[in-house]
Amino acid sequence: MKPEPIYLDHAATTPVREEVFEAMRPYFGPRFGNPSSTHRWGREARAALDEARERLARCLGARTDEICFTSGGTEGDNLAILGVWRASRDTGRNAIVASPIEHKAILGAVHQAACEGAEERLLDVDSGGTVVDASFDSLVREDVAICSVIWVNNEIGTVQRLPELAERAKAKGVIVHTDAVQAFGKVEIDAASQRFDLLSISGHKIGAPKGIGALFIRRGTSLQPLMHGGSQDRGRRPGTENVAAAVGLAQAAELLIAEREADTRRLRELRQNLEQAIMQSVPDAVIHGRNATRAPHVINISVPGTDSESLLMALDLKGIAASGGSACQSGSIMPSHVLEAIGVSSELAGAAVRMSLGALTTRACIDRVAEVFPALVAKARNVAAPVV
Amino acid sequence: MSGGVDSSVAAGLLVEQGYDVIGATMKLFCHGVDVPDRPCCSLDSVNDARRVCEKLGVPHYVINLESRFGSDVIDNFVSEYERGRTPIPCVRCNTFTKFRDLVHKADAIDAQWIATGHYARVVRGELRRGADDNKDQTYFLWGIDRAVLSRMLLPVGDSTKLRTRQLARELGLSVVADKPESQEICFVPDGDYLKILREKLAHDSPALSRGPIVTSDGRFVAEHDGYARFTIGQRRGLPGGFAVPMYVVGISPSERAVVIGRREELLGRGIIARELNWLCDRPVAGSEVQVRVRHRAALAPGQLIRLDDDELEIALDEPVAAIAPGQSLVIYDGKKVLGGGLIESASGATRGRTSLPILAA
Repeated sequence: MKPEPIYLDHAATTPVREEVFEAMRPYFGPRFGNPSSTHRWGREARAALDEARERLARCLGARTDEICFTSGGTEGDNLAILGVWRASRDTGRNAIVASPIEHKAILGAVHQAACEGAEERLLDVDSGGTVVDASFDSLVREDVAICSVIWVNNEIGTVQRLPELAERAKAKGVIVHTDAVQAFGKVEIDAASQRFDLLSISGHKIGAPKGIGALFIRRGTSLQPLMHGGSQDRGRRPGTENVAAAVGLAQAAELLIAEREADTRRLRELRQNLEQAIMQSVPDAVIHGRNATRAPHVINISVPGTDSESLLMALDLKGIAASGGSACQSGSIMPSHVLEAIGVSSELAGAAVRMSLGALTTRACIDRVAEVFPALVAKARNVAAPVV
Repeated sequence: MSGGVDSSVAAGLLVEQGYDVIGATMKLFCHGVDVPDRPCCSLDSVNDARRVCEKLGVPHYVINLESRFGSDVIDNFVSEYERGRTPIPCVRCNTFTKFRDLVHKADAIDAQWIATGHYARVVRGELRRGADDNKDQTYFLWGIDRAVLSRMLLPVGDSTKLRTRQLARELGLSVVADKPESQEICFVPDGDYLKILREKLAHDSPALSRGPIVTSDGRFVAEHDGYARFTIGQRRGLPGGFAVPMYVVGISPSERAVVIGRREELLGRGIIARELNWLCDRPVAGSEVQVRVRHRAALAPGQLIRLDDDELEIALDEPVAAIAPGQSLVIYDGKKVLGGGLIESASGATRGRTSLPILAA
């Protein structure tokens, strides 16, 4: 009998949790109303939506009106960057600062703003992916509309000192956004005491469904909506609200916060086991960002003399799901811009394999990967095609 | 797996026969501008291949061979046109990409066999023509490493195209059963190969620059906009006003000249080929063989009159039209493919001429 498949790609997506699914169920059925309707069905849905907003706000230390539901991380990132920049471009703040290891949703949005006339400034990061202070201070000036730094990087797991960076940016009157899609549930987030202005999260990374996320927008932050045509969500996000998914997101967020400390400990230990086992049997393997502060769920590893594509295929055929840099639309693996930005050679970057731990990860999974991975590596090195 | 009917059915048949099948689609090039948030390429065909594999219950992977394909196939395609020749990229793709680079990927995952949807057969280590004479694709396969033959599975080689489509329906692969045949070069989807040449060549490349159209006896006829627009045997795009139809009978890159002549002047009886490859023990000079100088041409009988390590010469029994340098010469013994080479030159219907008619000095 084949062994149970092992899912080590929680940074890509997670299964919807049972409790979340149950919480959502009534809103597909009897409580199907449109929250904008004035009749009983509408009121019921509206109440559910408001309650979800309130519950999520509590999880982030935010006020209810500061939560804007989105379709996910990409929308939140785009709304933050383009929305804020478009609203402030005429006030003498035309530049956008971002780190080079942002998610493509940020880099793409910044690129779009640049096409519309924004000045694009990329921060320096060190070999662990941590933003270099001097570079932050020199680029984040009074002419900056918005600066965005990914709190926990999705490929290597590096954690930025986001609250500190936010303080420094606020001193110059700069609006601060952070992509916290991977950070939510992994670091302490508290909008009441930390000074970021906008923060994006995504549902499907935390056991809620795909297609729901939220953008925290601090009171008083002006931004232009991306879409037009309705007054939903204070006009920031027109369109009939996804009530069921919003309820699911709130439910997942509460569970996440309640379990955060225990889960962090558990994942950190599992990852440590995995890293130790791999380094023992493949001593020349390189763990990216190893010297940086890292979130507990991500390990990104390159073995010299292998390539991601073949290794991922071999892992998948053994029932182990991991991922490469980032997949392009066709499904083929593209070289990672994150690894390039932290100075990893292209050969090593081309060998990167990201394994991300989460709810489905048990000690047994880790033990099996620790056994299979070195064997596949040895095999891959044996048959590595001669470079012609 | 291209996402087409042939490779899909090939996969389906192998699953039925009990093989442990792994689907692979090669990503070979990327269209469109490189904008950070808007990548990619021939997506639909990849999606179809993935859907077929899901249907068959086998894994599917996209293998990125873009940079190798770029240098082995596309760059060569461009430089051949620059040399006034007519390349066939599919031959190089089979030789270098599919049956070399992809085989390395197969090695990495312990896949013993490499299967494709080619209409050809491998019998006892020999490559043979496919059962469907109209579809036979051995013309594109002569260049592969002989050692790979013993690992090749060509499940539709025994089938006709019609039968393959029927099999697709029987296998439940309706997604691909009625897909139209692609006749184009994959990286030239709209058939406009000049677009690729313009992208890759310097703007003042002779291949795309003005030059003379001359008759084979040296008379100037008109100007053309680049000899890369022409291929041996072509009629389209030539000036009119002749008593008989005129064809391109030669291209002379050094003079940027396109040479035109009457149909008889297209005929060739002697062929010199280089960059040889054998899929069997090397034949001996004097062997009677059949050859093909272009895909789907009728087999032409002739004799292998000279053969050394890097060059051979064929004398055809009857002359053949439009033997174009850069195309493949594939040598058969009945159903069996012996090997082949790239056509270097052809000599005319009258014995004794050893090169193409070129512009008189």
